[in-house]
Amino acid sequence: MLDPRVPLLVLVAAAMVVLVVWPVAQVVYRSLLVDGGLGLDHYRRAIVGPGNLRALTNTVWVGVASAAGAMVAGAVLAFLVMRTDIPGKGRLRTLLIMPYAVPPFFGAIAWAQLLGPQGYLMRPLIALLGLEQAPFSIYSAWGIVFVMAIHAFPLVFLTVCGALERMDASLEEAARTSGAGSLRVMRDVTIPLVLPALLAGGLLAFIHSIANFGIPALLGIRVRFYVLTTSIYASLNIPDFPLATAKSMLLVAVGAAALALQWRLQRGQQRYTVIAGKSIHPQIIRLGPLRRVAFALAVLFAVVIAVLPLFSLLLTSLLKYYGAPLAVASLTLKHYAYVTNQEVIRRALANSALLGVSAATITMVLGTFVAYARIRAKLRGAAALDTLGMLPYAIPHTVIAIAMILAWAQPPVALYGTIWIILLAYIVAYMPLSLRTTSATLQQVHESLEEAARVSGAGPLRAMRDIIIPLVRPGMVAGWILVFMPAFRELTMSILLFGLRTETIGVIIFNMQNSGYTQIAAALSVLVLVLILGSNLIVRKATRGQVGF
Amino acid sequence: MDAVLVSDLWKAFDGVVAARAVSFSIGPEEFFTLLGPSGCGKTTTLRCVAGLEIPTRGQIRIGGRIVSNPEAGQFVPPEGRRLGMVFQNYAVWPHMSVFDNVAYPLRVAGEPRRAIAARVAEVLNLVELRDLGRRFPHQLSGGQQQRVALGRALAGRPEILLLDEPLSNLDAKLREQMRFELKELQRRMRIPVLYVTHDQAEAMALSDRLAVMADGQIVQVGRPAEIYNHPATRFVADFIGQMNFLPAQITAGGPGIANVRVNGYECRAENPSGISGSAAIAVRPEDLVLAADEGLPGRVQVQNFLGNLVEYKVLLEGGLTVRVQAPPGQSYEEGAEVVVGIRRAMLFER
Repeated sequence: MLDPRVPLLVLVAAAMVVLVVWPVAQVVYRSLLVDGGLGLDHYRRAIVGPGNLRALTNTVWVGVASAAGAMVAGAVLAFLVMRTDIPGKGRLRTLLIMPYAVPPFFGAIAWAQLLGPQGYLMRPLIALLGLEQAPFSIYSAWGIVFVMAIHAFPLVFLTVCGALERMDASLEEAARTSGAGSLRVMRDVTIPLVLPALLAGGLLAFIHSIANFGIPALLGIRVRFYVLTTSIYASLNIPDFPLATAKSMLLVAVGAAALALQWRLQRGQQRYTVIAGKSIHPQIIRLGPLRRVAFALAVLFAVVIAVLPLFSLLLTSLLKYYGAPLAVASLTLKHYAYVTNQEVIRRALANSALLGVSAATITMVLGTFVAYARIRAKLRGAAALDTLGMLPYAIPHTVIAIAMILAWAQPPVALYGTIWIILLAYIVAYMPLSLRTTSATLQQVHESLEEAARVSGAGPLRAMRDIIIPLVRPGMVAGWILVFMPAFRELTMSILLFGLRTETIGVIIFNMQNSGYTQIAAALSVLVLVLILGSNLIVRKATRGQVGF
Repeated sequence: MDAVLVSDLWKAFDGVVAARAVSFSIGPEEFFTLLGPSGCGKTTTLRCVAGLEIPTRGQIRIGGRIVSNPEAGQFVPPEGRRLGMVFQNYAVWPHMSVFDNVAYPLRVAGEPRRAIAARVAEVLNLVELRDLGRRFPHQLSGGQQQRVALGRALAGRPEILLLDEPLSNLDAKLREQMRFELKELQRRMRIPVLYVTHDQAEAMALSDRLAVMADGQIVQVGRPAEIYNHPATRFVADFIGQMNFLPAQITAGGPGIANVRVNGYECRAENPSGISGSAAIAVRPEDLVLAADEGLPGRVQVQNFLGNLVEYKVLLEGGLTVRVQAPPGQSYEEGAEVVVGIRRAMLFER
């Protein structure tokens, strides 16, 4: 008996190989291809070439520094929100997760407006300190680390909050009944048990930071501070493809090392399976007189990372000119009128909408099928397919763009410069996201629900139509929007792949900011943010807060 | 004709055999139970009958029709078997109302709307959910959800009703009530039932016949009283009801009845498998008496008053303990010296 779903699986497998394996293999192959033979020359150049080793070391230390910053802030605030009697926990938590919803390069634009030489915060600071010029520059390595840490912070915060939430309260109660005071319990039981989660969150922050392009591109390139992602971008502009591929491999290697570490950490964590029960009454530390101080500091922190940047973008977009006195008379809507009238911008918005819709739809259809084949139908080979689809998770988006150029830029499939190559890149890049949401959604639908339909007389397809699809629909809609949102404002891949008439909105905002049109960039950013935060609200409503941020 | 006939059924998962050489038949109006500890293969067997698992080997017939015969490449998928099934977790569809859940098998079968409405009303009546058709599962209690599952299983007039531990998620009181209802319902509907449970009391109460399973195999098939009074193996004796096992020496007699010595005390015991030499003597707690003229001397260690009877744990001379059940009439305090007499016993391999 041949399962009718098997041929479909073979088709999807072929698509995955063409989409993922072939381009990635191209990167590996081209990085080793030297004058028709194989060699390590490009790697030598990528390491000892002028400034190249610097880009590699910069990547690592910027990644480590931003992860460290995110870990310190993430751990402290997670403890404050989860384990103390600090007021307003719910709101505080929502606010603290905000930077996760804001594209990192929007953050870079906002912080350049806040802390640039003429920044909203810099000018009062200079006046306050009685200086003649800015004491530090946001266009620097530490500026990059600062903005990256803010955007990596929610990853650590959420991981640690999750671990604290899942930890069995009885473990702490056992220490209490053994005679330990609250602080002693925290030191001897709580912190050791949460440490693996903190490290995992830190590694996640590191992986996100080293793969980021927007922040180092907007804050680093003009002062010639390069990390691997911006260095690859520079190599492509020369253009030196072999060098770009070798650098790409280095970037993948750094990320893979962090992923391997994270994987080992997770395996090691299974020894502590105690973090599994439901916590009922976790130990709450009473802060006493410190309660107000802690609250004020937490609110200040949340305002700085979440509210200030958005406020800065909004303000800039409404001012007649950047640096105008902050008065009602200085406000105008002309930048919004400009951006909605520009042919290029309207086209870019249309491109991004088309790309977002197509990428979300295609990845969700493929992802649903793979997840169904693996979890429900348990078809042989589906697990391998899932692994294949998750592979791009380990590949920074810059490298995915390079892979697309290598695979699809020459005849017979010359897609470079068309919108299709961007779409292919998005599909590959967002496949892991889709696979994770579809798998999670399907796993929530118990197998017996489908079996009950089968014994009621429904065939496999009818059971899928009547039972599975209606039950997973809300999760799938949410998953669709979760792919659409990042795809709609994507920068890292489209900046390397766009051509004439195929600009995306991310590319336009990036170029506007880089060419000094910070107010146009701000107005566009505000428009995109309204859309992103609006759809996030819809997702949270549709899934009763289970999906979204 | 048998409602279900399973012959030499084998099922292996990745080389691990879950059911081996399972054979049984279910009569046209019979309540038949597969009973055994978890992992014994009873659920696997049920799922093979349902068509939710594809057997490795062996034939399954439902209503005379072959639905599974791997050697001949025959396999009827679950939707082609005319089944009703109640799952352990009920599997009531959360996105459908009670009415829609129960109507589903009829809709799939393409019955006209009027007929569906009439049949659903009839079934909801039967499972006592008369006025709850419009409710959704999340508005129902666990017991009510189970009635929905039962109604859905019965709606399509199945050839056989399959029940997979349906009572295990209910609290004790409700479970006992449902036990009676289930049996009444089956009698009224005159429908054959294949029931799976690990609860021997439940199996005894409900079944016309039951099969005790262990390690993927059927160990004994019979009526509840038969199995209780004449367990075929030491495992069945131990698993069904309560049983005391004491080491014993056979002194005379072969198959049938034998004379044995237990702790120096001579008595008679049934010896169905014709053991000789050393054996284990098996006695039910209710077959032991405390104030015997002759028997095993001992001392009452613990006394549990259970209302309709009193249960004792007695420490025998020599260090062994036995459980004794006695009517609450005469009572022995903890520490009392007693002589434990054996009324009826069986012999098994040591």
